[in-house]
Amino acid sequence: MIVDEDQVLIKRTLRGERKAYEELMRKYEKKIFSFVIRMVRNEDVAVDLTQDFFFKVYTVMDKYNFEYKFSTWAYRICYNLVIDHIRKNQAQVDSLDDESVSPHSLLASENVSKEDGFKNMAREETRDYVWQVVDQIPLKFRELILMRYIQDLKYEEIAEITSLPVGTVKNRIFKAKEILKKEMEKDGMLDG
Amino acid sequence: MACLTDEKILACGEGDLNAIEASRIRDHLLVCRACRLADARYRNLNRSLSRPVFSEPPAGMIPQIMQRLYPALPRYTSIIAAIAASLVFLITWIYVYFDFSRSSLVQALRLTADGTSGWLANIIKAISTVYNAAQAAYKAANALLNALLPAPMGTALLTGSVLAFSGLLAFLLLGPRRKRAHAKKS
Repeated sequence: MIVDEDQVLIKRTLRGERKAYEELMRKYEKKIFSFVIRMVRNEDVAVDLTQDFFFKVYTVMDKYNFEYKFSTWAYRICYNLVIDHIRKNQAQVDSLDDESVSPHSLLASENVSKEDGFKNMAREETRDYVWQVVDQIPLKFRELILMRYIQDLKYEEIAEITSLPVGTVKNRIFKAKEILKKEMEKDGMLDG
Repeated sequence: MACLTDEKILACGEGDLNAIEASRIRDHLLVCRACRLADARYRNLNRSLSRPVFSEPPAGMIPQIMQRLYPALPRYTSIIAAIAASLVFLITWIYVYFDFSRSSLVQALRLTADGTSGWLANIIKAISTVYNAAQAAYKAANALLNALLPAPMGTALLTGSVLAFSGLLAFLLLGPRRKRAHAKKS
């Protein structure tokens, strides 16, 4: 069994080394927080959920199986926490995830300027705009895009975390990209 | 060859197609401007997605979690200081309660300290002053309580206060450990 860097930190944490868990949190805090905030779209809730996540990982760490990758195990905990929260607050999420609402119109309502100049946008601006559109697409597509690109997971790992077949994961990610492309084409943003 | 579907273009970009299919798609892209444009747009999109915009968590988040996971444990120095304080408290209590101020050893120490100078003598004098003050305070409190309450109750109340103070000391010392054990359980 190959023990990676994360697993060494877990072993040290289980031995009672505070610094090891702090190191582990520092390593994952950005990815976890970015995932959570893009899922729930509320900073205060995201901070609470991220804290709950690290607390939960710590309390169930003794149940972690060293044969599996730590990141997949941890992301699964994170995903379940976020989905539980979203289910409990379904009404708010429904209003945000109504598929009849176009991401394009949502962006317009957020005063994102799409006046002249988009065609000549710098790559950084295009990237920022792509990620703003990601925030507006329906949850079932957004969660997979976030796992694929924020958490840098493979399709198989996403399938394991979400309990979806790998084919479904791929199809949804493709579909998400189609939605994103259509939205971006409206502004001629992908022609750069 | 008919124009490519978005799915085919994406699958090709992800490297999901076999060599023959991928080659056919590349050939088609060479001759079809519309598909080439769609392919370029997906590449552009993938490039943007592959460099995600991360959100910066609040700076105080990790210290807060650490505080929640590991409530401040007393350090060795604070444990030693608490034990020393308890010992001093206990000795003072015994000294005051059994009125050791008249014992020959204490009298001898006082006489020696009074007749000499230097840091050790000054320390003995200071301790003696503090003990005398503590004894005077105890006697005054005891007299007051006995005047207000029946004799056994006054002494019992004073003893109870001393015990409560000891209990508080132990609670402050062990509290953080208790919290940590609770956090682990929950």
